[in-house]
Formats: sequence, structure tokens, C-alpha cells
Amino acid sequence: MQVYRALLVAYPKAFREHYETQMVQVFRDSTREAYHHGGMSGVIDLWLHTFADLVVTALMERIMERSQYMFSPKVILWGGLASVFGGLCWIFAGLSTNSNSLAALVLALVLGLGGLVGLYSRQAGQGGGLGLAGFVWGILGTGLAIAALWWGSVRFAPPIPILLLAMPLAVLGVGTVLLGVTSLRGNALHRWRGLPLGLGLLNTLAGMTFLLMFYLSLSQGQNPWDAWSLIGGHVIRPAVLVPQVLSVLLGVGWMGLGILLATETNAQVAQPPEALAETR
Amino acid sequence: MPETASDPKTSLPLTPAAFHIMLVLADGENHGYAIMREVAENTQGKMRLGPGSLYGTIKRMLADGWIEETDERPDPQLDDERRRYYRLTGVGRKLVQAEAERLEQLVNIARGKKLLRNPRSV
Repeated sequence: MQVYRALLVAYPKAFREHYETQMVQVFRDSTREAYHHGGMSGVIDLWLHTFADLVVTALMERIMERSQYMFSPKVILWGGLASVFGGLCWIFAGLSTNSNSLAALVLALVLGLGGLVGLYSRQAGQGGGLGLAGFVWGILGTGLAIAALWWGSVRFAPPIPILLLAMPLAVLGVGTVLLGVTSLRGNALHRWRGLPLGLGLLNTLAGMTFLLMFYLSLSQGQNPWDAWSLIGGHVIRPAVLVPQVLSVLLGVGWMGLGILLATETNAQVAQPPEALAETR
Repeated sequence: MPETASDPKTSLPLTPAAFHIMLVLADGENHGYAIMREVAENTQGKMRLGPGSLYGTIKRMLADGWIEETDERPDPQLDDERRRYYRLTGVGRKLVQAEAERLEQLVNIARGKKLLRNPRSV
């Protein structure tokens, strides 16, 4: 019995404090019954079963304890602030014409992770599987985007690396859309409720626009980098201008999300759905 | 944990462990070891809850307001006072009913597709 009690250290402290006595008592009763019915082989069978149960459930309790921390106002605040600075980096990358824009984009994507974490935390687990899928999808898109930028910057001259962002940006967009939908559904935000959904759609649109620009130009036998002449003698390069405009718009969006999260950290955080239903 | 008026169907389907524990508590309050034994009996030993699964599930059900601890004991003279007794709340009872109805519908569908024998012919 002492061995079993010692093994309970695998559970989080709070869980142990509340249930250790009960669990030891249940295990003692189970051991007595197992010995009565099956002798030593019954006890060995019980030990094997209980040990497997302990490993799995202790891990689950530890993960759940961590996820509770994730739903804390502090995480939302820092996530929001990271998103604000990420938005500034998007704007800087959009307005910049030198090679610093790539570094700014990478920084924008990394800081954007803060926005995703903050938004997911703000939902306090109410987003369910869809919210979690959106969160994972968003992180995946961000990781792919950073990898695409790094790989593209090593192999190609600007602005090709930016075009490589197309698919990852769409993946990030889909993830943010899912988080936006679950935020709306769960009334996770008090103001600008549609902003995360709008930001997700903008990310997806940006990714698809990059793809289309490339595809349409090549399918018509044109060089995507060709300049277009406008009335009045002005010349524009859509392959440069469109990403710049989208980058600024994305910057505004991520900044908006960051401001929203940083100013709404305390209300309705970490409340179960039942408690929310009561407050409505 | 206060009971709430939220629709129990939003919490469905229940996990097998939660459903079996609530089925046991539908007969009245009980303590952990008795719940574990009755679950094993009800499932002919197919579901064996270890102490971790049992109290992990109980913890979540308490947090969700589906069950509650009770100070009442069937026979305080014979019982170990360290045992904790649990019983269904109103929300918990509605929830276990809703889950049973959901499973009944599934069984009816399976029966309609002749995947199960008709209970009258058994």
C-alpha cells in the first residue's frame, strides 16, 4: 500500500490533496477483494491494471492542470501585446522595400502566435474540438510560413519568398477562421466580436490572392513581375504592390486583435459553459 | 457547484466512464469503491475503473455540477467515516436520462437494420 501511495506523487499536487486518501482506500479494498477471489495472481492482475490506469490518468491530470494555466488572464494579456507588436511588424514589412521586410515578416509571424494563444485562451476551452483544431491549424500555418520564408530567402531573391507564403498563409487563415467562429459561437469577446473571423478571412484571402496572382499571370503567358502602366503614365508592379497592401491590412487586423485581447483579459475567463449560461 | 438550466444535450455524448458512474448513482448516493464494483458488475467486468479513472471522472463531474458530495451516510455505525459519498444533481439526472435516450435511439436504428435481435425474440 505504501508503494501505491508513493506512486500517487505522479498526480498534480491539488489532485493528490483532494483524492489521495480516497484512492488509497479504494486500492486497499480492491486488493483485499482481488486476493480473496484470485489469490496472488488476482493481486498481480490488479497491480498491472492499476499501474496502467495511474500512468494514463496522471498524465491526463497534468495536461489538464497545464491547460488551466493557459486560460489565465496573464496569458491573454501577453498574447494580446505580442499580437499588437506582430501587427506593427506586418505594417513595417508592407511599407518597407528593403531586405529588412523578410525579417519583419518572420517576427510578425512569431508574434502572431501570441495572438493565436491569447484568442484560444480567451475562449477558456469553450471552443471545444473546433477551437482546438483552429488553434493547431493556426500554429501549423505559422510554422509552415516561417519555414517557407526561411527556405525561400536562402534560395531566391525577394519578392519570391513572399509568394511562397501563399499556402501557409491560407492555412493560418483557416485556423484563425475556425477560432473566429468558435469565438462568435461562444460569445468569448465583448467587443468587435467578428474581428477574429474577419482577420482569418483576410489571411485566407491574402494567401489565395498570392496564389492567383502567380497562377493567372503564368497561365496567360505573362511574367508575374511585369509592371502595369496606368493612365497618367504611372507604373505599378502588382506582384509587389498587392502583397504590400495586404501586409498592411493584416498588420491592422493583428493589431486590432491584440488590442482587443489585451483590454479584455478578465471577463468570463476560465468559466465553464454552465456558469456562462447562468450569467446570460 | 450550482446547478444550471443549460440544455444537458449540449454535454452529450458522455464518456463511458461518466455514464456508468452516473448510472450507478441513479439508484442513490454511493462511495467510490462501491461505484467501482457496481460498474464492473454492470458491465460483466468489461469496464474496470482504476482509482485514477474513477476519481478523475468524479472530479470533472463535480466541477460540471453533474454530481455532488453528500454528508449523509446510509449507516454511519458500520461505515468508514473517511469515505466520501456522491449523488446525482438535478442536472446530472437530466443528463444521464438524455444519454440513455440517445443510446436507445441508436439501438433502435441498429435494430431496424437487423443488426440486433428483437428483444421479444430473445
